[in-house]
This record gives sequence, structure tokens and C-alpha cells, in this order.
Amino acid sequence: MEADLQTHVAFYLTGKKLSTHLDALDGLNLRPALFAGYRDLTHLRYDFPLVLVAERLDGAFVEPLSGLIDGILDKVAAGTDGERIRKHVLRLEQEIRVRVATGSSGLFSALWDQAAAPLGKADRTIAESLSLARANLKIDGEVIDCTAALPFHLFGHAWSIKQAQRARQFSQDIERLVLKLSDIIKADFVNSDAGKSAENLRASFGTGPMDNFDFEAMSRILTRSSPRQNLSASRRHRVTNLLETLHAQKFFRMAETDTGETYSFAFDSCIAALAAYRERLPRLIELARAMAIAELEIKGEYNESKHDLLFDSFGENGLEARDLALFPDYLVRLDAAGMTGPEQSTLTEILSVDLPIKILVQTDDVIEESPLGNGHLAFALRSRQLASMAMGMNGVFVLQSPASNLYQVRRQIQHGLDYSGPALFSVFSGAATGSGELPPYLIGAAALESRVFPSFTFDPAAGRDWASRFSLDTNPQVALDWPLREFAYEDEKHQSVAQQTPFTLIDFVACDARYSKHFARVPRARWNGTLTPVGETVARDERGPLDSVPCLLMVDPENRLQKVIVDEKLIREARRCRDMWNSLQELGGINNSHADRLLARANEIRGANVEPPASASAVPSSPLAAAPVAQPAEQEAERSPDEAYIETARCSTCNECTQINNKMFAYDGNKQAYIADLNAGTYAQLVEAAESCQVSIIHPGKPRNPNEAGLEELLKRAELFI
Amino acid sequence: MNCSATDCQLELYDEQHELEDYQSGVPRWCTGCGDNAILAAVQRLCRDEGLRPEKTVFVSGIGCSSRFPHYMKTYGFHGIHGRALPIAEGVKMVRPDLTVFVNTGDGDCCSIGAAHWIHAIRYNMNLTVFLHDNQIYGLTKKQASPTSPIGTKSNTTPRGSYLDALNPLSVTLGVANASFVAQAVDWIPESLFEIVKAAYHHKGLSFVRILQRCPEWLPKSLDHWMQDPGRIQLLHHENAVHLSAGLAKTYRNQLLHDPLDMNRAREIASSEDVIPVGILYQNRDIPRYEETRQTGVLRTTETVRKGFEAELDKYTV
Repeated sequence: MEADLQTHVAFYLTGKKLSTHLDALDGLNLRPALFAGYRDLTHLRYDFPLVLVAERLDGAFVEPLSGLIDGILDKVAAGTDGERIRKHVLRLEQEIRVRVATGSSGLFSALWDQAAAPLGKADRTIAESLSLARANLKIDGEVIDCTAALPFHLFGHAWSIKQAQRARQFSQDIERLVLKLSDIIKADFVNSDAGKSAENLRASFGTGPMDNFDFEAMSRILTRSSPRQNLSASRRHRVTNLLETLHAQKFFRMAETDTGETYSFAFDSCIAALAAYRERLPRLIELARAMAIAELEIKGEYNESKHDLLFDSFGENGLEARDLALFPDYLVRLDAAGMTGPEQSTLTEILSVDLPIKILVQTDDVIEESPLGNGHLAFALRSRQLASMAMGMNGVFVLQSPASNLYQVRRQIQHGLDYSGPALFSVFSGAATGSGELPPYLIGAAALESRVFPSFTFDPAAGRDWASRFSLDTNPQVALDWPLREFAYEDEKHQSVAQQTPFTLIDFVACDARYSKHFARVPRARWNGTLTPVGETVARDERGPLDSVPCLLMVDPENRLQKVIVDEKLIREARRCRDMWNSLQELGGINNSHADRLLARANEIRGANVEPPASASAVPSSPLAAAPVAQPAEQEAERSPDEAYIETARCSTCNECTQINNKMFAYDGNKQAYIADLNAGTYAQLVEAAESCQVSIIHPGKPRNPNEAGLEELLKRAELFI
Repeated sequence: MNCSATDCQLELYDEQHELEDYQSGVPRWCTGCGDNAILAAVQRLCRDEGLRPEKTVFVSGIGCSSRFPHYMKTYGFHGIHGRALPIAEGVKMVRPDLTVFVNTGDGDCCSIGAAHWIHAIRYNMNLTVFLHDNQIYGLTKKQASPTSPIGTKSNTTPRGSYLDALNPLSVTLGVANASFVAQAVDWIPESLFEIVKAAYHHKGLSFVRILQRCPEWLPKSLDHWMQDPGRIQLLHHENAVHLSAGLAKTYRNQLLHDPLDMNRAREIASSEDVIPVGILYQNRDIPRYEETRQTGVLRTTETVRKGFEAELDKYTV
């Protein structure tokens, strides 16, 4: 045992197999033990294959095949035959899966028909069930499996739906503007001498016997009676120019029948996309300007003296997101492996200025060797750099996800495409070269599970802080360093054993034949207690005593359990991966060190039972102080009973007082009465106004002229209004 | 700022209007008439909201209140008796860009125009309707109207009217799709203005019954409520109108009422001892007829001709 441990420790430290008791993995075709149940994905009902469905009211652009089949079954698998139909349709679904996995593609309906034909031929009842279900196939689209081509197609599909929506809105806007602008020109013609001429009037009456109608007389009457208000030359010139600009636009196709040339907005290079954007910008500004002026012209609000200057400098500082939202977004789909230096710097340039360009960067290999060579590992660094750089720019929508998870993040994809600024979608396809027979779906899912390629979104439109913008929710068991999965197997004594196993970076790397030298199988006869689970070693931050060696559980093609020891280099890489995951967790609010420190401090203060903070002294000490303070009423100036005044705010504009004396009483800006000039009338008029006021708000006060006639009686009458 | 730089700059150029810009002629209403208060509140609304006169329409039927469009320097349509609402609906249907107000009286709306009233509520088009309710036919010199209190002596009911008055609020609240129902009184100008403003901002048909005095034919009928502020019950809520400190001081009878509570609104509408003033009911989620009917199809000469010919083809032998 001691000799074995020495050999194992030597491998652990150096990666060298010093004994024949350690087997190289090459040719053994092992896979991580947790993958034992996923030999044949076509027998599983899971998210894939996906169907890229046409635009729908609920906004969905992708559905899993199983979801669509379930939808059909909900409609047809009922009653006594329900179970039979369900069984037959699910058999068809499995057949479609097999076909897609072996490379078939096409529309869902076409694949259905191809798969249904042989099944139906073999059994008449199957044919009946499938035909009934086929009649309920209402949602169709291209079926696509989790392959290297998935990200390209899925993002292209989602983007084109979005562009189609914009195109509809845009053409509606343009058609409306063109129609209304044309109406201005038409109306001018109708008002002109030519429009009112007998010939034109006759022509506008269509065919039929018109001998009894005197168009000459009608023309004379119209010419005489209607006002002569022709379009000014400058306005006509402006409207004609606007119409030309609107007609000449190439941003969207106006109708299905439109054969005019339009711009393309899908690119496979940032350099080309940026060049196209720059070249089209003047046209775009011209069109946006024309649309803004056209809106004013239509409302008749264009005022040359005010608006000419404004529109002369239109777009000098670029356009805002709201203006750009009318126009198509650019889509750039890139392969990370083929990105050159200039391409990379252009990508940075696009992301750093708010251009409406959506960029998909597809990575096929996340555990490639570092360009430094010499066995340096830099797992997932390139993709991570890209996403971190984009998030650092603060105004970029960022989504990172493996392709296997794209259905789960479909809403986030839509948010990214809806976002007004640039968006970066970093996707790992799972189609790496070294993964042997493992399907890309499994590799993608493993990258997500092992935190090698975590899924996250950074949405600047969601709020101003990290808590609103950043989300890690689509990862499994986000609060843990590694997700824990139950692994159950049968031991040599045929007893069932179950254990919680973390899925780590080491499991992920073990799927890749390129790194097999970092692993060595320990023959069953050499298994002993010094082989400890990898998770325990990774969890330690340093090497620790060398009395045990980390080992990974794997299975061979017959699903027999194997123990594989791992060298320290991979353990270090796994710790690095965990640390990077931990910093993502912090951004996502999990185990945030700032928050933890504040909490610890608060607990410390509470625990020490210190004096309450100064601000607590504001707590009221007497019940009186705690009573709610009434809102201070608007303090009205204390009026002397001798003064004449009107409670203006209560005036109901009934004209009673102003009709008595419109110099003494007048209306203010809100058409409510006040005493404008007390000397402009008599005390008798004041009293009369007070009596006739509908809402009794005139207070006559005391007379100013002691010699006015009948004062005694007037004072008596005024008493009611003091 | 929730608008683009271009929009903001254009707004800077918008013309500012004064109250006088909306005034047209000297109202012929009797001195002391409550219509003057409504006119002042509406003109103030137009000024404060910067309504463009050429984009604003007042439609009325027949009666004292229906002279309203004459005194507004905007577009107006003095219609025929009881038909203010259908005319306004037509205007709104073809020109949804216009702000359309309706001024109608208790006779115009609740008697000859009652059918149109019910259906206008149900259509819930984006109109602001002011029911000038003076409880009497004033223009024709004192005949009982549907809202005249029982026992009202008039030229048509010399021994007093025999029927209980119709309650326009209860009726409106009983119609499907009612989306904004409020009551104001002409003698509290501040509250009148706030309610008129809330009605204008509501998207849908806002129905405001304004109780107004008729100093000529029913000079005393509202004195009971006018002279006792305690008989005015001010409704307030965070989602409705707020009470200013001055108003709250004068009118101490206040009621917190959630305008989404229809059952309570119906109870409040039936109050007899007090006059509830404020928004009784408001539901912003009820669809507007003109919006549900929008097809998005532009009415070009071609589409009109095509539709016209399709209709004619139905009758071609």
C-alpha cells in the first residue's frame, strides 16, 4: 500500500506514471461517472432538438420538440384511445430525434412526415394515431439539434423576427408619411387654377352622361369663391425633397412586392459591419431628419424661422438610441477561434460606443491550451475576458451561455436583441474536437455544471445597480462552489451505494482526450483508502499532507466504475475556476464580501450592546412628540373686518360683481375675481356685489368715504358679509 | 427626460398660450350662471395643458350649456338636441389626434340624448364629457328636466314634478365599460379644476357631472348644500385627486375612496344628504373603441376605391 501511495503521489505531483500499476486513459473511452446514464440522448425527452418557430403573438421564437409534441398530445390524446395515441406519438417523437441526431434537418412537419411513413406502414393503428395528431400540428419551423451550427441559426432566427417587426412598423410609418405628404401636394393642386379648371373638374367626374353639367360654370364658381392659398415655393420644395428621401430609403423593404435594393445587416465580421455602419450613417441621419420634418409638415407645424436652423444641424452629434430604434440592428456572428487582432479591436470599438450592433461570439473550445505553450493551461480565459471586458464597459448587454442552455435563456436573448445599444452574446457550442463520442449537448451542459462556462446576463436596461443588472440565475445550484449531484451505483457485493458528488472542472476536462495525460487509472486491485474524492482536495486551498491522492469516479463503456487519479496541475486549475466562479457569485450578490463585512460589523455592534447610535435619539421621548404632525394649512393672512376683500380662490366666475362695476372688480389670470381698485366705485356697489355674489366671498369691510349717502343702511346690510 | 433630443428641442419651440387665446366672445349666459365657472375651469385647463386650439374640439347639443363651443377659440360643433355624443364620436373616430370635449346639459344628455349617452359610455372612446346639470331646462325658460328634484315647480309641472330625479352618476356607473365617473360642483372652483384636469388626462370616456346653479330659474335649489360646507363630501385618494390644505380646511367632510372600488362608488353616487365631489370611479384598463377598431390600414385612394368596388360587386348582377 505504501508503494502504491508513493506512485500515486508522484503522479499527483509530477504527472508522471512511475509504475505499471497506473494506466493511461488513452483508448479506455472513460467518461465521468455522472454521465453513465446519458449514453443515448435520443431516448431522453429534453430540450433538444429545438424548433425555430415563426413569429408568434406570445413572442416565442423557439420551442423544444418535446414541448410541441406535448401541445399536440394535449389536444388529441384524450378519451379511451388517449393512451394509445400518446404512445404512438411519443414513438414518432423518438424516431424524429434519432433522425435529427444522425444529421437529418428540415421543417418539423417534413421530419414528421418522413418519420411517420415507415411507422404507419408497419401498423395501421399507428398510422391512424399519427394522422390524427398530424392534423393538429399547427406550429412549424426548422428543427435543429445542439450542434456547432445551433448558435448561428438560433440567433439569426431570433434577430430576423425582431427585424421583421421593426420593418413592419417602419414601413407603416413611411407609408403614412408619404401618403400625408402627397396629400399636401394634391391639396395644393386642387386649390390651384389648374385644379379648378373645367377640364380637370370634368376629368375628376369619371365617365357617364355629363352633358347637362356645366363644368365651366362650376370652375368659375370655385375660382371665385374659394380662397387662394397656394403652397409657398420653399414648402413645396421641402415636401418634394422629403418625398424623394422617403422613397429612396434602403433600410427596409417596404412590401413583399418591393424589388428595390435594400441594405443587408447580417455580417460575419465586425470590421465589415462597422464599415457598413459608417458608410450608411449619413443616409440614416438624412432619413431620420426627413421623418422628423415630415411629422411637422403633416401637422402643419413646420415653422421655417424656427425649425430650419434646428434641422440644418440635425444629427451632428450622432443619433440617440430612441431615434435609432426605428432602424435595423446589425448582427455580427463570429467564430472565436478565427478572430484576428484587428477584428478583436474593432469588436472593442463597437462595444465601447453605443452602436446598435448585436454580436454573437461562438466558442467551440473552452479548454484550449494557453498560447504560451509549454503545457500552460488557461481554461475559458478567452471567452471570460471578452464577457468581462464587455461588462466593464457598462453599457453593453452581455449574455454568456453554453448552447445546451440556449432554450433556457431564450427570454434573455430577446432582451438582448431588444436592447437599444450594443449586445454581446458569448456562446460555447460544445462541439470541441477532443470530446470524442460525447455529444455537444452533453459537453455544453458539463461546461455549465462545472462552472467552466457559467451562464449569466448583464442587462444595462434592467436598472442602475448590479443587483438589477446582473443575474446568475440560470446556473445550477448557484449558491454552491460546485453543483452536487447524487451518484448511485452497485458495489461488488451488489449493494446499492449512493453518494453526493460535486461536478467540477476536473470532470469536464476528463471528457477531453487532449488532457488524458493528467489522469491515470488505478486498477481495481490497487484501490485503497488513500484515494480521496477530487472535490475534497479542490476544496482545500493548499496542497496539504501527501497521505492521500485525489481521485475521480469514471465509468467505462460497460458502465463499470473506474477510479482515476488526477495530477496537481488540474487541481490548481480547478481551484482557479472555482475562484473565478466565486467572484461571479459576488457580482450576483452571493457571498458578497462587502455585504458580509457590513453584516459582521452590524452584528458586532449589536453583540457589544453599545449605546444606540446618535440618530436613534430622534426617537420621540413623549407620546405628544410621537403624534402625527398635521399638515400645516395654508396660512391665510389675517384680515381686518374693516378691509374690503374677495376670497379669490373660491370665485366661480359668475360675472355678478364685474357686471356691477368692472373697474372695481376684475378677473385675474385664472379668471377669478379680485378687487382691482377700491376707489373705482362706491361702498353701495361693494355691498350690492357682496349680496349678489353666488358664493358669498365678497367682504365689503368698512366704507372709505364717510360722506357716502345711506351709509347707515349699507353698514347694516354689510354686516352679513364681514 | 423621456424624449429624444429632437423631441425635446421641438417642444421648446411649442407656442405658449394665454387664457385669452382660448376666449371667444362674451358669454350670453345669465349673470351668476354656473356655466361661467365651468368655462373658466376649462379655459384654464387648455392653457395649463398647452392644448393647441387647432387640435381641440368642443362638441355640444342644445341648451344653455351647449352654447359652450361659441365661447372657446378652438374648433367647435354646436350640434342638434341630444346628439352631441354621436357627433363627438364621429370626430374622434376619423381624427383620433384631436382632443375632443363634449358639453351637454341635463336635458340634452339625460332626456332626448339618453340612448346615445348609454352607448357612449359603453364605447368608452377617448372623450371628456361635461354634463352641466342645473336640474332645469333654462334656455326654454323653466321646464322640469329628468334631474329636477321631485316637487320642482315649473312651467310643465305647475304643481311640482311627480317623479324622483334621475341620478346621472348611478346610471353611468351601471353601464358596461364605464371607465371614469366624477362629480364636481361649480361653486368650488379649485376642486372643479382638479376634476376637469383628471378627466382630461384619463384615456377613455371621462364623464363629469357638474352640479351648477341656475340663478334665474332655480336660484335656491342648491343653497342647502352651498351654504353648509359639511354637506359637501370631498373624495380623495392617492390614485385620484388630492386635497389641498386650503380646501381640506374649508370642507372637513372628507372620504378616502379608492376609485377602483365600483361597489363603493355606486353607494357614494346614491348619497342624498351630502353631495360627493371627486372621482367616484376610474379604471384605466378598459379598452377604447377607436383603438380596438384601428386596422392600421392607411386610407389611400387605392384602398378606398378597392373597398368601394368590393361593396358594389356584392350587388352586381
